[in-house]
Amino acid sequence: MSHAWLSSPILAQLNSGVLVIDDEYQIHYANSFIERHAGLQLADIQGKSLFSVFADLPEAWLKRKLMSVLDLKTPAFSSWEQRQYIFKFAHLRPMTSSSQYMAQNCTMLPLDTPQLEQPLICILIEDATDAFVYQQHLSKTLSELEKANRQDGLTKVLNRRFWEEQLKQEIHRAQRYHHPLSLLLFDLDKFKDLNDKYGHLGGDFVLVELASFIGSLLRDSDLLGRYGGEEFGIILPDTPLSGAVEVAQRICHAVADHLMLFNQQTIRASLSIGVAEFSPKQHVLHDDLIRSADIALYNAKRAGRNRVCIFQPGVSDYQKKAN
Amino acid sequence: MNNLGFSEEQRDCLQEIINVAMGLASDKLARFLNTFVHLRVPSIALVGASVIPAEFESRYRDTEAALVSQGFFGNEGVRGEAIVLYQMTNAHKISALLGYEAGDVSEIEMLTDISSILTTTFLNGLAQQLENSLSYSAPRVLSSNNGDLSGMLKNTSFHWEHALKVDISYQLVDHSFNCDMILLIPAEAVSNIKTILDRILEDF
Repeated sequence: MSHAWLSSPILAQLNSGVLVIDDEYQIHYANSFIERHAGLQLADIQGKSLFSVFADLPEAWLKRKLMSVLDLKTPAFSSWEQRQYIFKFAHLRPMTSSSQYMAQNCTMLPLDTPQLEQPLICILIEDATDAFVYQQHLSKTLSELEKANRQDGLTKVLNRRFWEEQLKQEIHRAQRYHHPLSLLLFDLDKFKDLNDKYGHLGGDFVLVELASFIGSLLRDSDLLGRYGGEEFGIILPDTPLSGAVEVAQRICHAVADHLMLFNQQTIRASLSIGVAEFSPKQHVLHDDLIRSADIALYNAKRAGRNRVCIFQPGVSDYQKKAN
Repeated sequence: MNNLGFSEEQRDCLQEIINVAMGLASDKLARFLNTFVHLRVPSIALVGASVIPAEFESRYRDTEAALVSQGFFGNEGVRGEAIVLYQMTNAHKISALLGYEAGDVSEIEMLTDISSILTTTFLNGLAQQLENSLSYSAPRVLSSNNGDLSGMLKNTSFHWEHALKVDISYQLVDHSFNCDMILLIPAEAVSNIKTILDRILEDF
């Protein structure tokens, strides 16, 4: 028993577009999905050219696809991931989706119609807007995750792991292109006293405030990271020692003059900064460069804090330590 | 080699059917691509799907490779997944083959287009020989630029027990172009194919 009578109500209800054309691109059939989305009636478009009815179609591209269907009698496909849509239809989630047009997966099928001389092609159009929207959410989430993976949770500057990775890469680049590279390590002076006086929330506030303030003093290519506790590092690519000292002095003075307001109290803080320039002979590993800057930082502390000290090559160990 | 339970007759029959399908495909492709297509008689082997990754890993080592997967299913429980593998250094040749202009379509779309054409042209011929007809899912690209093809193949094929490995080397006179095609077929479908082969053998 034939079920041909079922085809018509199913095609009318189907939530996919069904469009049938011949080898001269004349429209033979379009189901209700297409009629409704395009605002057309089958009676008005039957026998007309596909490309005149849907003037927005990518004609050259679509003709090549249709040619392979006709010549090879094989299906051709188009995915929303490559081409968001072929037919410019509004989609069914105007409120909950950011995309303007219906994302579509299209399949072009050769139709086996022995009773006709002219070969026919069925173009199936599936609404892939949901997948499109999920993909957008996913991409957004992934990029946020990637950001979170590089960021220090409190201060939003680079975290130690990512910052050290960047330092390794910058050292590699400096070596390869013979560019200068400098490193600053700095530490908040008497951070423990700040915590005691204003509480841990006050201490955290100072860290966040200063990280953002110092970030605003840097070039885009400089890399500020939190090395640990109240210790931070700044990678200065393409910067020789003299330039790095200038940057360090500027930061040191600006921070000393920077007043911060926390719970109606004005907080003042100062930094000690150690400066080291990368030297391929002396610094085999990135840790060696960090160590040089760290020695200079301790010397700055020992010399009375709120100042900049330069690493002196040849000094291989920490002098007497101070806080 | 493990024949996965195929009798000698069944294997010969399958080889013959695949040869005919290849012939049909090469004729159609030559006309469509407008160039002479020489196809070597494909090497066909039925293997456990688990041995596939290692084999292709060595062939595509150190090159940027792409893998395109396309599912197929037909009557009488014939179904599987066709995988086409390319070296990406070949990719620019594809656009010329298909008549695309630079910037016209993305690299991924060129890969899905050529894969779909190669796969469905061959499988339609195969289905015709098996007095069957096939439907296809849309092709999907998985790319690798670090030579981790083995990992991708493992992820793709771990739930397939058997693979019908059809190594196709397409040689086009105007363009040199190579790729490999593997058909991964689950165990029930292999036994359904055996039943169909037996019926064809009886008719002779």
